[in-house]
Amino acid sequence: MKKKTRLLDQLSMLLLLFLSIIFIFPFYWILTGAFKSQKVTVTLPPEWWPMSPTLENFHKLFQNPALQWLFNSVFISGMTLIIVCVTASMAGYVLAKKRFYGDKLLFSIFVFAMALPKQVILVPLMKLVSFMGIHDTSWAIILPLCGWPFGIFLMKQFSENVPTELLEAAKIDGSGEILTFTNIVMPIVKPGLGALAIFTFINTWNDYFMQLVMLNSRTKLTISLGVATLQQEFSTNYGVIMAGAALAAVPIVAVFLLFQNYFTQGITMGAVKG
Amino acid sequence: MLRNMGKIVSSGLVMAIAVSALAGCGGGQKAESTTAAPAAESTTAAPAASDSKETEAAGTDSSGGGVEITWWAFPTYAQDGDNPAGTYEQEIIDAFQAKNPDITVKLETIDFTSGPEKITAAIEAGTVCDVLFDAPGRIISYAQNGKLVALDDMFTDDFVKDVDNEALLNSCKSGDSYYMYPISTAAFCMAVSKNALEDAGAMDCINLEGDRTWTTEKFEEMMQKLYDAGYMGATVYCSGQGGDQGIRAFVTNLYDSSVTDNAVTTYTINDEGGVKAMTKIKEWVDAGWMLNGSAYNGGEDVDQFVAGNTAFTTLWSPGLASQRAETLSENGIEAIALPFPSEDGVPAMEYLVNGFCVFDNGDAARAEASKKFIYFMCNDEEWGPKNVVKTSVFPVRQSMGDLYPGDEEMKFYASLTKYYSPYYNTIPGFAEMRTYWFPMLQAVINGDSEPQAALDDFVAKANQSIENAK
Amino acid sequence: MRPKKINKIRMRETLVSYAFLAPALLFFLGFVLVPMGMGVVTSLFRYNMKGMTFVGLSNYIAMFQDPVWQKSLVNTLFLVVGSVPLTVFFSLFVAALTYEKHPVTRSFFRCVFFLPVVTGTVAVTVVWKWIYDPLNGILNWMLKSMNLIQRNIMWTGDKKYALWAILIILITTSVGQPIILYIASLGNVPKDYVEAAQVDGANDLQVFWRIKWPSLLPTTLYIVVITTINSFQCFSLIQLLTSGGPNYRTTTIMYYLYETAFKRFEYGFANAMGVVLALIIGAISFVQFKALGGDVEY
Repeated sequence: MKKKTRLLDQLSMLLLLFLSIIFIFPFYWILTGAFKSQKVTVTLPPEWWPMSPTLENFHKLFQNPALQWLFNSVFISGMTLIIVCVTASMAGYVLAKKRFYGDKLLFSIFVFAMALPKQVILVPLMKLVSFMGIHDTSWAIILPLCGWPFGIFLMKQFSENVPTELLEAAKIDGSGEILTFTNIVMPIVKPGLGALAIFTFINTWNDYFMQLVMLNSRTKLTISLGVATLQQEFSTNYGVIMAGAALAAVPIVAVFLLFQNYFTQGITMGAVKG
Repeated sequence: MLRNMGKIVSSGLVMAIAVSALAGCGGGQKAESTTAAPAAESTTAAPAASDSKETEAAGTDSSGGGVEITWWAFPTYAQDGDNPAGTYEQEIIDAFQAKNPDITVKLETIDFTSGPEKITAAIEAGTVCDVLFDAPGRIISYAQNGKLVALDDMFTDDFVKDVDNEALLNSCKSGDSYYMYPISTAAFCMAVSKNALEDAGAMDCINLEGDRTWTTEKFEEMMQKLYDAGYMGATVYCSGQGGDQGIRAFVTNLYDSSVTDNAVTTYTINDEGGVKAMTKIKEWVDAGWMLNGSAYNGGEDVDQFVAGNTAFTTLWSPGLASQRAETLSENGIEAIALPFPSEDGVPAMEYLVNGFCVFDNGDAARAEASKKFIYFMCNDEEWGPKNVVKTSVFPVRQSMGDLYPGDEEMKFYASLTKYYSPYYNTIPGFAEMRTYWFPMLQAVINGDSEPQAALDDFVAKANQSIENAK
Repeated sequence: MRPKKINKIRMRETLVSYAFLAPALLFFLGFVLVPMGMGVVTSLFRYNMKGMTFVGLSNYIAMFQDPVWQKSLVNTLFLVVGSVPLTVFFSLFVAALTYEKHPVTRSFFRCVFFLPVVTGTVAVTVVWKWIYDPLNGILNWMLKSMNLIQRNIMWTGDKKYALWAILIILITTSVGQPIILYIASLGNVPKDYVEAAQVDGANDLQVFWRIKWPSLLPTTLYIVVITTINSFQCFSLIQLLTSGGPNYRTTTIMYYLYETAFKRFEYGFANAMGVVLALIIGAISFVQFKALGGDVEY
């Protein structure tokens, strides 16, 4: 009986390793493909490792404003992150800790809107953004994404942890609302804020649709959009496309590997209540 | 009681939200309609538009103020060597700005796959360019939607006489006004790989004499031989949208069908010849002579051809030949351009017209500067001919003469002019029709529907698109 | 009747609360509610580049009769129905196998399965496009050298495989977060319960279903909802890999909406699709909350 389970264990482990290969392979293929010449990329059987690595792809890549794209992505994701963290923590706090007229209703509207994919309001959003004169700028992505109420929802859950007694004590001490928020609430919800930051950053970074609709100019593109453009321009010149994909992926993957624990904690806390 | 109070307040809030939402909505539209009005006017009354232009031009001092215009360029020009997209275009701009210091031209390169959608988005967002270099297919649909500035004043009698080609001039028109200023033209054709054909012993199937015309029978024989020798013929590419005219011309030529009737008023590709062609293509795909190209777009099909993975391509033009020349020679492949095969050996060729249009951005000074820029690109003594040669096509102005003296290949391309078929790219609803074409092909070669049914369905939808656009 | 004093306090609280809420509300109103209202209103218009004409519900009627829309609804549902259970099962499987392992092993696997998420959708898609490429791709080559297939298969262009090809990529990009979540929640299952059950003679399967699964329910609910919403929004895979082909076999509602708006310029029609999609997602999320999360309060 015991032997059987061990065998089963080993088999599952084997399966797991096999699956791991499938998950790692695309990333590996991007990294190695970036250093293969056009000819090698279409050769079969494939070169598993670039035998004569070339920088030609990167040369072609950097004829495009690729670093600018990377910067744009960082700027957009970073800006969204900051705004969302600030607005959501404030909103989440009052929704969790204060009883006021319209609280329940407001919260249900937020929850409903959360399930709404932002793409369904695409055309009106575009009209709005162009009305404001910010189409084809980073703000055309940042501002609409800040309206998405997921952050509020998340921060409400975290703010529930703030002990009500503490807030009352602060009030008795005569602490103002803003001070209470910054000195008492913020330290308690900090881990939640970290989770929200990670979420927002990754989601914004990967929000290809919004970028596709809102950005035109070559210098305004994000790295995702830039890579998609490369794919359209170079169609089957996979080397160049992989170089772009590598530029898009490596920084985030590096950050992820370095701060892996923060990521996992953030994601876990984001979902599991409290 | 208190609860009720809460409810009242909260419902009041919702009302406030709703009202502000509606107000915002109304405001947005109002602003839009005011900007849209002059655009609509200019389509119906071109002279009126040019009137207002003069008055406004007087207001903005064109000599000292300086105008900035943007030019969006598809990758039409072949770049020298390793130069990135837009290098050559920037050279034109530099030359223009040297002569017109008061005008600044900003260049933006776009691609054929997502470019068209970007233009649409930008039109809606009001951030579209001033000058676009494209073909009538899209340009005229923008004109029909009232987004362009009429260019009638650029079509002087001399120019019209110089072009002397009514079909071509008509392709630049929507209603009674000209919206596209043409610079060059060339036929779409196909190409075969000499290497593959020689290896398969199929060189005798093609005709290299005269206009190189050939029959469908010979074409089938060629594919049979290629297949026997282990070559993949071509991909029946039908993903995305780019290059769809190539496959359309291929289909219509095989058994003497046509996309539209001669007067270009209704689609006719579901006739006997069209159905037979689609049936054959399906057979060829099933037999492994051609590859189901549902995941390839036109560009990728050409990629496969120049990489030597396929033996021929149904998407070729002198422009493509020059753009891909380097890759071809790197891979040691010699491409032979051919007209499409047809039953009687007399092809009906589709052709492209390259030209410029000016978007109506509500600023007469910018429109004027754009026209100046276009005029420079097409008619400057140095840059006019150079810009034509750079895309390896033929000038629309006959006075430019033979730009490719002694070039046999270009002579062949020029000879295709006499096989030009009616130009249908300016038909109303053209853009919508294009969205139905590839799905129809996909349906047939994947066996989703029978050729007759699929073509009937396509024609019905395409004809409906004419109505929709009216 | 309660004293008026409370009312006053509550009024004050309301003022303070809305002050705190103001920035978030501003964004929410401006960039979610207002566009949503505009979307609903304009969906009642024939609205294209030329202008707007009121047409009542005819966009909706045309949509429900549109065979392409029906196809895209089916495709979208296929992706949802395919990806949600597979994602849950797959991540539960991986998490169950790894959560008791050495921390290094555990974090290794966590990283591996999270990798596609951080690589980014577009980068992942373009590399898969290469892998799937019928003539230059490694997948056909591998299957051919293993003698599993004879002829090259056009994975993203063949109606038999296209949607599955999309689904596979979708799943590789969806399981990262669920695995992390399941590992965490499995670690939170009280050890004493498990041990007590084992002492009582329960086998592994019984332990899992009776003890572990109930405590995983909230996590599962969250995963199901998130995956459902994500799958409904599947767009970039389609746009970059298949453009909705072959013959609308991979057209999702999201993609069709985009095509309608930007290739056919039918904005009113596109907005009608958006409204219906929002309602569908709303309804499904609601049902999921009710069905799976009877005891979970959100």
